[in-house]
Amino acid sequence: MSSRADILGRIRAGLGRDDANAVAGRSALDAYLAAKPQGPKPKVDGDLLARFREKSEQLSSTVDAVATPQEVPQAVARYLSAQQLPAQAVCWPELASLPWQQAGIAVEARAANSSDLLGITGCYCALAETGTLVLCSSPNTPSAASLLPETHIAIVPAGRIVSGMEEAWQLIRRETGELPRAVNFISGPSRTGDIEQTIVLGAHGPYRVHIVIVNTEK
Amino acid sequence: MHFKARAGQKLADVILQDNLKKAKSKFVDRRATAILDLDDFEATRDSATALRDRVLNDLDLWLEKFEQQAAKSGASVLWARDGAEICWLVIDIAHRHGVKKAIKSKSMLSEEAGLNQALETAGIQPVETDLGEYILQISDNEPPSHIIAPVFHKSKEEVSALFARTHHLPAKDDIQALTREAREVLRPHFLSAEMGISGGNFLIAETGSVALVTNEGNGRMVTTLPKVHVVITGIEKVIPTLEDLATLMRLLPRSATGQSISNYFSLLTGAKQAAESDGPEHLYFILVDNGRADLVGGEFAEMLRCIRCGACMNHCPVYQAVGGHAYGWVYPGPMGAVLTPLFTGMQNALDLPQAATLCNQCGVVCPVKIPLPQLLLKLRAKQVEAHLRPFGERLGLRAWAWLALHPALYALATRIGVRYLLWLARDGKRNDRIRVLGVAPEWTLGRDFPAPEGKTFRELYAARKETA
Repeated sequence: MSSRADILGRIRAGLGRDDANAVAGRSALDAYLAAKPQGPKPKVDGDLLARFREKSEQLSSTVDAVATPQEVPQAVARYLSAQQLPAQAVCWPELASLPWQQAGIAVEARAANSSDLLGITGCYCALAETGTLVLCSSPNTPSAASLLPETHIAIVPAGRIVSGMEEAWQLIRRETGELPRAVNFISGPSRTGDIEQTIVLGAHGPYRVHIVIVNTEK
Repeated sequence: MHFKARAGQKLADVILQDNLKKAKSKFVDRRATAILDLDDFEATRDSATALRDRVLNDLDLWLEKFEQQAAKSGASVLWARDGAEICWLVIDIAHRHGVKKAIKSKSMLSEEAGLNQALETAGIQPVETDLGEYILQISDNEPPSHIIAPVFHKSKEEVSALFARTHHLPAKDDIQALTREAREVLRPHFLSAEMGISGGNFLIAETGSVALVTNEGNGRMVTTLPKVHVVITGIEKVIPTLEDLATLMRLLPRSATGQSISNYFSLLTGAKQAAESDGPEHLYFILVDNGRADLVGGEFAEMLRCIRCGACMNHCPVYQAVGGHAYGWVYPGPMGAVLTPLFTGMQNALDLPQAATLCNQCGVVCPVKIPLPQLLLKLRAKQVEAHLRPFGERLGLRAWAWLALHPALYALATRIGVRYLLWLARDGKRNDRIRVLGVAPEWTLGRDFPAPEGKTFRELYAARKETA
């Protein structure tokens, strides 16, 4: 007997499964999947942007805000000089057209490798409840750019801040239908508490996460 | 060696005791603060409990749904009855893809299977990448002492000495520098491994995805960089929808480390698309039984709700006193005291169900409301039914049962007992403490036994009835 048949067989024996209750069980299962009931959620009301900002900072991210996408490179340049970081970066292909050169930053739009010190990405959306960035993988938005470099800068359009994880799933279902290969939820710099339960930033991923919010006026 | 003997050693280990003291309040305090920002923590727990039960009550159907959806996304779903089959499947996949090195994100099932040793024997180099698991691997494959903080028992001085010895670099004395050293040592492994092996926190039936929670970012590396990704996870980890995932993710990090959300949390579905620059070309799921299937629908089924947060051990007075290694297998603390006898056989973990005070701290903090003390009691009852208790204990209980059926003799025996205790308490001047209890000398090793007042309850009751 295959392992699959053996394991499923013993589960069925434990549950007293027969043909009749399997039919009922399957239709209850499908009804649940169609209804997708939500559990209790903490209230996230008022200004989503302010809440996102506050929660991000609590997670040890730093946050800046600009009015238009065109101003992002200047904001990034300000951050890099304040942190005394080199003005050299890898970015998502979809961000290649921003005026990086004018801001004095050498940006390459390609897959990140381990020698890149700074990765610049956008985000799919962001969660106000916890101050979390949500990044979906695709050829134009590769995962490694937010992971391999020591510094990660994420551009967040204010209109893409939703209240919680449930709203992010709804957005993905509505806008893209199928799930991308990877949906990465990022909440601040990489950290570990493994040695003496003492929190240290920068375990395997970035030491720093800097968020630039774009408050585009309508 | 049994729990009692191991616990004795751990209590006498001065360094371990110091390390346990430093660590214990951190998890407890952080959790207590973190649950406050859920408006209704209790309702969230209820909802999580209900959704775990929903799956477990129809586990065969939910597994079929998961398998169907995962296959649709391009993943391969394999099944393993036990640890040996996990090892065999992983090695077979490795050979098929020409894998020489496998990087691993923390997987407790890999511990259940002893996968690292099996991979080494097969000529494949396993590299643990969770900082704690890496420390254990270079410490001679030491077992973890906590499910989310594997080196809970080690001090930074011990880690520093281990790193200096293994990496041939100057010894570092602060935790930040040690963490950076591990990052720099492990980075080349991430980039050169052909296979990534991870556990799975949840499997989502709706989408055929795995959800992976980490703080360090190693989980993302393991599932992004190598060309093959193997997920090893228990059959009970299935949940229905992404909405249910949102509910559980409000509880898991808060209960585990007291974080409102873990740093990284990835939902992974299928293999990489043609034009993508990263992601694995092949995704395999290994769904593992190893003792789980037989619990479904039975009297211990509630244990399968477990989401492996570790809150029960963080809050357990016994765990806090002896640490995880005293429990002898992969899972320590109250959840381990229930799982180990169920997964490895009752006769192989005889004193684990006894290694608890039944204070119910574990039951109070469990995010999915597993009645751990009740399950421990059931296991104790099973041991008695199976005649697995020691001869002296069985004899004692039978003697007591016989005596209890003979009231006159019972009254006489308790009267003699009380007089005996009073005699033990004689100490020259004061008569209120017993320093050495003749029948249970171990009990008075660490504390005195209060001396009885002088008469049994029956004697007092009879006297009062007379005067009334």
